[in-house]
Amino acid sequence: MLTRRQFLASSAIGAATLLVWPRLTFAATGSDTRFLFVFLRGGLDGLESVPPYGDPGYQAIRGALALSPSAAKPAHRLDNVFALHPSFAHAARLYAQGQFMPVVAAAPPYWGRSHFQAQNCVENGTGKPDGAQTGWLNRCLACMPGVDGLACAPVMPLTMRGPARVEAWSPPLPTDVNPILLQRLQPLYAADPRLAGTFVRAVARRQDSGIARSGTGMAPGGTDAHAGRTRGGLPLMMGAAGDFMGRTDGPRVAFVEDEGWDTHANEAFIVTRKIAELDAGLQAFQHAIGPTWGRTVLVVATEFGRTAHINGTGGTDHGSGGSMFLAGGALRGGRVLGKWPGISAGELYQGRDVHATTDFRSVFKGVLAAHLGVPGSLLESRVFPGSAAAEPIEGLLSTARAAA
Amino acid sequence: MDTKAAISALNRFGLGARPGELAGLRDPRGWLNAQLARGPDGADAFSGLPSSLDYLRAEASLQRTRREFKRGNGGGRRHFLLAPARAAKAAVDANAAALKHALGPFRQDFRKDLMAEASARLRVATTTDTPFVERLVYFWSNHFAVSVDKNVARMLAAPMEREAIRPNVTGKFSDMLLAVETHPAMLLYLDNARSVGPDSPLGRRLRRRLALHGDMDEGKAGGLNENLGREAMELHTVGVNGGYTQADVTEFSRALTGWSLPFPRDFANGRKPPSAFVFRANAHEPGPRHVMGTSFAAGGFGQGKAILEFLAHHPAAARHLSLLLARHFVSDHPPPSLVDRMARSYLEHGTDLTAVYRTMIESPEAWSADARKFRTPQDFVIASLRAAQVDLDGKPQAALALMARLGEPLFDPRSPAGFTDDSADWIDPDALWKRVQAAEALAERVALPEARPLALARDILGPLLDPDTMQAIRRAESKRQAYATMFACPAFQWRV
Repeated sequence: MLTRRQFLASSAIGAATLLVWPRLTFAATGSDTRFLFVFLRGGLDGLESVPPYGDPGYQAIRGALALSPSAAKPAHRLDNVFALHPSFAHAARLYAQGQFMPVVAAAPPYWGRSHFQAQNCVENGTGKPDGAQTGWLNRCLACMPGVDGLACAPVMPLTMRGPARVEAWSPPLPTDVNPILLQRLQPLYAADPRLAGTFVRAVARRQDSGIARSGTGMAPGGTDAHAGRTRGGLPLMMGAAGDFMGRTDGPRVAFVEDEGWDTHANEAFIVTRKIAELDAGLQAFQHAIGPTWGRTVLVVATEFGRTAHINGTGGTDHGSGGSMFLAGGALRGGRVLGKWPGISAGELYQGRDVHATTDFRSVFKGVLAAHLGVPGSLLESRVFPGSAAAEPIEGLLSTARAAA
Repeated sequence: MDTKAAISALNRFGLGARPGELAGLRDPRGWLNAQLARGPDGADAFSGLPSSLDYLRAEASLQRTRREFKRGNGGGRRHFLLAPARAAKAAVDANAAALKHALGPFRQDFRKDLMAEASARLRVATTTDTPFVERLVYFWSNHFAVSVDKNVARMLAAPMEREAIRPNVTGKFSDMLLAVETHPAMLLYLDNARSVGPDSPLGRRLRRRLALHGDMDEGKAGGLNENLGREAMELHTVGVNGGYTQADVTEFSRALTGWSLPFPRDFANGRKPPSAFVFRANAHEPGPRHVMGTSFAAGGFGQGKAILEFLAHHPAAARHLSLLLARHFVSDHPPPSLVDRMARSYLEHGTDLTAVYRTMIESPEAWSADARKFRTPQDFVIASLRAAQVDLDGKPQAALALMARLGEPLFDPRSPAGFTDDSADWIDPDALWKRVQAAEALAERVALPEARPLALARDILGPLLDPDTMQAIRRAESKRQAYATMFACPAFQWRV
């Protein structure tokens, strides 16, 4: 099978692909690392994705949903306490290579149980749903002059809104636009103060759309059939992100989102399918980004975990502490991060949720500081204001990387 | 005549002008008020469509077919185990193929029904004389979003709009709220249909059974599900800052236990459930409930109904709903004075929505020159179809595909919060680029051999047609390019 690079070199489409992303220059900051944030909307269940099978309270509280390395469909054993959901096949391989790391009992600083408020907090990077009108990752980009971002989403997500320039990408419409129509529209949009800048950027990327599609077609599962879908699902979207980010002048910071993690009913079935999608997404991303994987860290997060108990419909309701995941060639993984609070009686938050022990900003601050070189002072003042109590976690990167 | 006000009535409050509408509009406020008096359109367009109860019956019959099929092949399966592995695999494959074949007609029917629903909705959207009321239907439909990506709700999102939203769109909010929360689409979408009170007769029985057979699947043991209770407060009524706590959510969810729908077994042996809503008294949590500082006596279905009534009349709901309406029609940041006035009107008139709408359209803030909203993809597609009188001829697929590709697939917001109503969320280069592509695709569908594009643009855009846009349309190399220019120009993207 051809590698992606060989394929690019051998095809005319590939040659054109290298010309994409024309206006953006990412050369300004010295190091050439990559960072991807994957946001799972709906509330991923930490006790399903990273089952604490060795916790004495786990089997009792999870009943039919309990997972274990010794079950018929075995979870992937990580250590004496934790495992990964059976669908995490590729992640388990990465874990063995030290390139994958779950964080347990993590949560954003907001502990209410509203999806939309919690998502706002995840995105605006504060403890309050209306704490900021811009996104933390955009503010992070604003601290990195010359570095632009990419949001793989049909509309610009709050995480990526703000002063720094960010492009949005989603699978394009198949038709080409008449260039003369564009010429004619240009002066009209130039006169509309609210839309002028947006239109200029839309036109600037016009060659991008058709070509980017063939680029993402190379990601596993990212066939042309997928390119025809509005929301491609994680394999397509993460594959596309990897494709863009793997280019020499590609975006260094990107965002991918996914929905459908709100498992109030029939959770075992849904989580099995969704985690398989995330796992395929990881694989697609790693494949598409190519050798750049070695300089990459990605973080997967959700707005909250779910109740420790099962509800009446084979699912779980909105909770607090949940799981995060880190992956990438630059990661010092192969271990489970976070202090486990336990889930026996008396250990649950308000008697129902996993008690969050890691503020997810600590993880992000640790990655942004060590991997993207964002100064600590800016992380405190601009990216995550008011987060002094959430100290950055150190030692997240592999020693080889840190020494470089 | 005030053409600025007329264009606002058509665009900001309506679905975009049809040819001739702008020129004929003498009294914009009067036109909107008259629509409210007439009420919702669509009686003809929707008359032949199945009811929710019909869809539930069809689903039950599909499940019965599947079950009977599996039972019929049960004997064979034991045989497969004894057969050589390859033969067994072939037999299992044949089995799966036969089942697929048996279910084929159902799937075809469902697809046909989905297309018929979408087709009727789009026909009303493109032809209605009461576009303000129609826009209100879409607003409430998105407010009470049921997303078809959740399989159980796929067939029922469109019927919910027809059965629960549309009939109440100019009536009382409390009536619409009750109609929605008792609709099978919402009960399935937010998981209430199988929520069981732990101390209800059913809950106790299930617990006893669980104690006897410890290995029983806990998911089937029955218990409380908070999804509907929470979203009914957070999204549907008082809003997330409405002053409720986790305890209120749980209490309200207890009151909603037993709110359900006919299950497949209720259709067995030719039985005919009378309604698509079923109150299952044996699953209802007994006892009084306390929600947001108010007590509600035990009373079966009436208890949850009373709490919904209480929530509908709550001042926080008045503020929350008025803000959402003003944000939808006027601007992303509507003047607080307008919102306050609408909220007062809501409470004074016992949640009567027409009173609130009238207050809005009689307020000068709603007509101010700087009030504007960016057309959402659905708005954009519908406005284009209306402007050029495109006849979809019962084939909605192309229009549906455009809405989906532009980021607003019909009934598929993927979240109970619905699609965003913030212009900033819809304005970005990728979306704008796709809009230009969509404009070209739509222009291909314009079949107006007699029309002159510039005259049509004047007719549709009126005072919004500036000299540069006029020039661009005049210079277009073909009629198709002229229409594409009209659909893609910035003036067409705003509801001003």
